[in-house]
Amino acid sequence: MSIAAIARKDFQETVQSRGMIALVALFSLLVAAFAYAVRPTGQSEQFATEVLLSVFVGRFLVTTLVPLVGVVVGYNAVSGERESGSLKLLLSLPHSRADVVFGKVVGRGAALALAVFAGFLLPALVLIAAPVAFNAGAFLGYTVFAAALGVVFVAIAVGCSAASSTQRRALIGGVAIYVLFVLLWGAITGRLVGAAGPVVDALPVSSTQVRVFLRVSNPTTAVEALSNAFLGEQLFTGDSANQQLSAAAMLVFWTLAPPLAGLLKFDTDDL
Amino acid sequence: MTAIELRGVTKEFGDVTAVRDLDLTVEDGEVYGFLGPNGAGKSTTIDMLLDLVRPTAGTVRVLGADVATDGVAIRRRTGVLPDGFSVYDRLSGRKHVEFAVESKDAADDPDALLARVGLADAADRDAGEYSKGMRQRLALAMALVDDPDLLILDEPSSGLDPAGAKEMREIVRAEAERGATVFFSSHILEQVDAVCDRVGILRDGELVAEDSVEGLREAVGGEETLEVAAAGADGDAVAAVRALAGVSGVTRDGDELVVNCDSDAKTDVIATLEEAGVSVADFHTREASLEDLFLAYTEGDAATRDADTAASTSTDVDPTGGDPTDVDPTDVDPTDAGPGDDDPAAEEVDR
Repeated sequence: MSIAAIARKDFQETVQSRGMIALVALFSLLVAAFAYAVRPTGQSEQFATEVLLSVFVGRFLVTTLVPLVGVVVGYNAVSGERESGSLKLLLSLPHSRADVVFGKVVGRGAALALAVFAGFLLPALVLIAAPVAFNAGAFLGYTVFAAALGVVFVAIAVGCSAASSTQRRALIGGVAIYVLFVLLWGAITGRLVGAAGPVVDALPVSSTQVRVFLRVSNPTTAVEALSNAFLGEQLFTGDSANQQLSAAAMLVFWTLAPPLAGLLKFDTDDL
Repeated sequence: MTAIELRGVTKEFGDVTAVRDLDLTVEDGEVYGFLGPNGAGKSTTIDMLLDLVRPTAGTVRVLGADVATDGVAIRRRTGVLPDGFSVYDRLSGRKHVEFAVESKDAADDPDALLARVGLADAADRDAGEYSKGMRQRLALAMALVDDPDLLILDEPSSGLDPAGAKEMREIVRAEAERGATVFFSSHILEQVDAVCDRVGILRDGELVAEDSVEGLREAVGGEETLEVAAAGADGDAVAAVRALAGVSGVTRDGDELVVNCDSDAKTDVIATLEEAGVSVADFHTREASLEDLFLAYTEGDAATRDADTAASTSTDVDPTGGDPTDVDPTDVDPTDAGPGDDDPAAEEVDR
């Protein structure tokens, strides 16, 4: 199986990359530091783990650092091999270009997921050592959401990489992805909705619905919505169930559409 | 069956035409040397065989299938040593070969393949630490996985030392004996002489000659160049020499006469000069080397004549031209800029 072979190769390569190891170590230390700093003192609160994750770690670390690691892991997936020439070695073997793009999404996504789990290991130890009721289930579940967020960003960055003929373009694309989804999504979409006011009015939806849709369209906020629902034990239930479904659907969309779009371009290029 | 078949293939990159209306056929089991100076379009042609580059016009078929639609199936039966590739720095040599084995769904032993290309001792080292020659060997090991029906080797000897280049040729020979078709490119004719059934010479994106090495040698003229130090030679003496049977051209170069002739005619040339009253101070001969031959096709104008001579190499068409002002292809200094310059280590001759 071609995709599996490429995924395995890429996984091995990625987990050995120094940049990735450094980022994961940084992430792990920051989360651990947060965990230590905001550890509940005295009366052990039942929600300690959940509060730590959703309020502190989630908002400040996971939604900023995990996408960054995802972009770093993904942006040079195809363009890097293309520029160095190892892509020639890869495509000398019986792989299609689609195998290459999706094999890389799988391999690097898996590497990143592993990194996220590794990154949460140290904080878990801190929490276990701290005198609180450590909710292992919530912690582990949250780690899965964080990993999913990273995988989505890997997919977007790999798609961008496949469409880029040079490393420089792929890097610019990677930075743009990060800035758009992590830093400026709210501002940009807010302006768009504002500017497109008349159009929105003409649609059979309220502008609030449009705003909500745009909010969950961003993988970062989508994961945030889902993980907060999970920590509040309301995953796919309660008032926001529909919103959560849209969020989950958007995550699937962002995992598949960018690699496919990148492949369209990559498939027609002379290498 | 036909291993490789290109029909009317043209590839343009913007304004540049890299390959022009190329027809090329390589039969099953053949060892085909694909020659040409750097920039002639060899790598572009090979990239089209691998579907890395798509032709602007024409069809490319490999192992009976269209590369545009059946690329993966073709590459399952093909071993490729690409040009200008790089390795995965963080993966060991063995991991590379394991990856090729897995990709081809083969059952080869990676260590046996690494041993075959002389990398057994370096199998566990990261390929990023390999020298150029070791990387070349590693890619060859990957190409040999699963005993491919067709081997495509792009400049296989580049970066190899003489011993490495010789081993490369031995592997090519062994693969050919096994029954594989081998298609390889080179810009150095000496390398292909020893192993090729047939060579094609590409120049400016066009195939200017295609024959066995012997056939090409005959087409350019199985001749020698006689250099005679004869200061006193006048026009009559030169004319007398030129009139001799077996002499195809005479050029005056200062005090020296440069005579292109069959080797049998050498003594006649000297005798004729002396009869004409010219004192011959010194003379020596040199055989047209393969390098000269190659340059004749790729830089001189033998190529344009080849259209006549290739069809029947036994005809007496004069390949070097009778006109003394004609550029003599066998006279080109092989140390001139061009194919010979690149990598001294890769020029080792296996005789």
